[in-house]
Amino acid sequence: MKKHSYRNPVGVSRFTGLLLITPFIIGFAAFILYPFICSFILGMTEYNGISAPKFIGSENYTQLLHDEKFGNALAVTLKYAALLVPLKLLVSLCAALLLNAEIRGIGFYRTALYVPSILGANLSVVIMWQYLFTSDGLVNQLLKMLGAAPVSWYGEPAPAMFMIVLLRLWEFGSTMIIFLTALRDIPRELYDAARVDGCGSFRAFIHITLPQLKSVIFINLVLQTIAAMQEFNAPYMLTDGGPLGSTYTLGMLIYSEMFGHFNMGYANAVSWTMFAVIGLVVLIMFRVTGRRRDSA
Amino acid sequence: MKNIIPKIAACCCAFTLSACACSSDAETVKPDGKLDKCTIRFSWWGGDDRHDATLRALELWNKLHPEITVKAEYGGWDGWEEKTISQISSGSEPDLMQINYDWLISMSPDGNGFYDLNTLTQTLDLSGYGDDVLSFGKVNGKLNAVTVSVSGRCLFYNSDVYNRLGAAFPETWDELISLGSKFSGEGLYPLDLDIQTGCSAWYLAVVYVQQQTGRQFITMDGELGFTEDDIKAALDFYKQLEDNHVIRTVRSRADEDGNAALYQSSEFIGGKVAGVLEWGSSVGKYESVLGEGVLKTGPLLSGENGNGGWMIKPSMLYAVSKNTKHPDEAAALMDFLLNNKECAEILGTTRGIPSSAYAEKALEDSGKLAGLAQESDEMLEAADTVTISPYMELSQMHELYSKAIEEVSYDETDTASAAKEMYSAVGEYLKKVRK
Repeated sequence: MKKHSYRNPVGVSRFTGLLLITPFIIGFAAFILYPFICSFILGMTEYNGISAPKFIGSENYTQLLHDEKFGNALAVTLKYAALLVPLKLLVSLCAALLLNAEIRGIGFYRTALYVPSILGANLSVVIMWQYLFTSDGLVNQLLKMLGAAPVSWYGEPAPAMFMIVLLRLWEFGSTMIIFLTALRDIPRELYDAARVDGCGSFRAFIHITLPQLKSVIFINLVLQTIAAMQEFNAPYMLTDGGPLGSTYTLGMLIYSEMFGHFNMGYANAVSWTMFAVIGLVVLIMFRVTGRRRDSA
Repeated sequence: MKNIIPKIAACCCAFTLSACACSSDAETVKPDGKLDKCTIRFSWWGGDDRHDATLRALELWNKLHPEITVKAEYGGWDGWEEKTISQISSGSEPDLMQINYDWLISMSPDGNGFYDLNTLTQTLDLSGYGDDVLSFGKVNGKLNAVTVSVSGRCLFYNSDVYNRLGAAFPETWDELISLGSKFSGEGLYPLDLDIQTGCSAWYLAVVYVQQQTGRQFITMDGELGFTEDDIKAALDFYKQLEDNHVIRTVRSRADEDGNAALYQSSEFIGGKVAGVLEWGSSVGKYESVLGEGVLKTGPLLSGENGNGGWMIKPSMLYAVSKNTKHPDEAAALMDFLLNNKECAEILGTTRGIPSSAYAEKALEDSGKLAGLAQESDEMLEAADTVTISPYMELSQMHELYSKAIEEVSYDETDTASAAKEMYSAVGEYLKKVRK
């Protein structure tokens, strides 16, 4: 059999690696780095998208400190993230544990549970949510059947927030997949040894599974927190930020200032503040969990 | 390496600011009065009735001008303004656009935001327009847009429901309020008002107070005409409608419809809500979801001071992009849509009663000058109407109206406090916009 020899067409030199990643660098610079820097610059201007921007220094950031809408949006965003993220981690971990079992047709169940994540908060899902949660919707009909009082899902602040949390909670597929992959990497020997020593399933979960998943739980925590704090689609399409601004997130404020009021400079300042807040939250997470993660 | 980052940042800074400045100062293409072979884009918002008619009109255009291809861009109102502003910001807007009245202030405060149509009269015939109608589209002496139709909001009722209950369409404010008790027994409502993008709740309250006081809410030059007491009276009136079961509360409306528009909700289609306050030019979408002839025009409500205070405005205008490469062709298409006899017959009253004398005559001759749009137009013409200030329509203003109405509806605050807050916020915002 003839042996093929392959020749590196670009040759190997100190610039080969750089050359190979050039397409990425160009894409990154054009579509991420440049808009990122532009956004910061525009955050220091008064700009309506039509006339030329006027440099005003830190005025937008000063205005932000006195803006009641910003304060409310920040509080709503933090509350939303605090509600959604722990619930999502819990549900996706439970689902991953169930799907880690050796049962027939497991591939089908894994696919079925992942489907909602593909759908996202699109129009069809919003229409479905309206069928479920309006006053005569399926959920209230079920509550009536059970003898419970119907809930004002769209009309009251707390249920409206819960309804949006539920929409995102339903899309736990990607978090679940990360957990599932980590679960399958835990050596079976650990469980076998524990069983020989008389350890039950619950104790094995507490003393083997959870410690082994520490770093993955942290990754999911960080990723989900970042995603939750950038939330826009679900409240925009479901509640339009209402009732009484109770679901008006920072993402909605940015959109409204940018495209509703043409305050593009201010919208960029809010974006950068959101970026800083997310950075701060993640930093706190790293600090708080640092020692525990290291001991894993 | 240390020196590179500040240099990159400085370059980006210079490039960003100059790019933004350049996009606003781009050279406009001068007209030559000739129609060349090209493709132009035309955008509009509306309901299905308007989309269908406009697409049919464009087929006719295609037959008359096969050398000029028109790419249609259309959709519903929600998000349309946002889409347009992002297109204009990036200089990628369509050549011909249907625009809203307040966009002239927000997108062309100095008159340079759109093409000056005075320079396109070789292909755009404006002889069918009176000076008063043309003046709606003028900014700083430049003709930025041409009014398609002048329209106002009127009351339209589901006649099936009213007939079933033996109720007559109200003629006075008192009659409207007394209808609440008649409808409440059946769990129905004689009217619906919203705080969504149109904020018809505040609109009707403004009409009521304007009729009582003779003062205009916001003047044409952007001054707040209402006093704090007037705003309180408007909010009190709104609350009275809710308390008397004339309209649904904000909470029950949200619960029943979710975030859906009224004409798409089962409450309106099923007749639970039997009335709507809508522009004559846009009522088609409500008419089409009910049976034929079910939706009927009601009288303009009046009080002791007659039926004044009702408002009119250009329901929409056509403008040509200042960045267009084909100004003559875009103007020719605008002329076709505004004045062409056959086109007018196809479009009918899907954009209201045409302001162009030629299009109106075409509709009159073909017997198409009828229907809800025409009825509401006639009623408004007969009344002592007020022209809406474009400042009243700005989206930030809508946010202020909705906030006050919502807080009053939820009993989060009393009408006096809400009025005080709104008076100050509206005043401050108007001052900022006029700057």
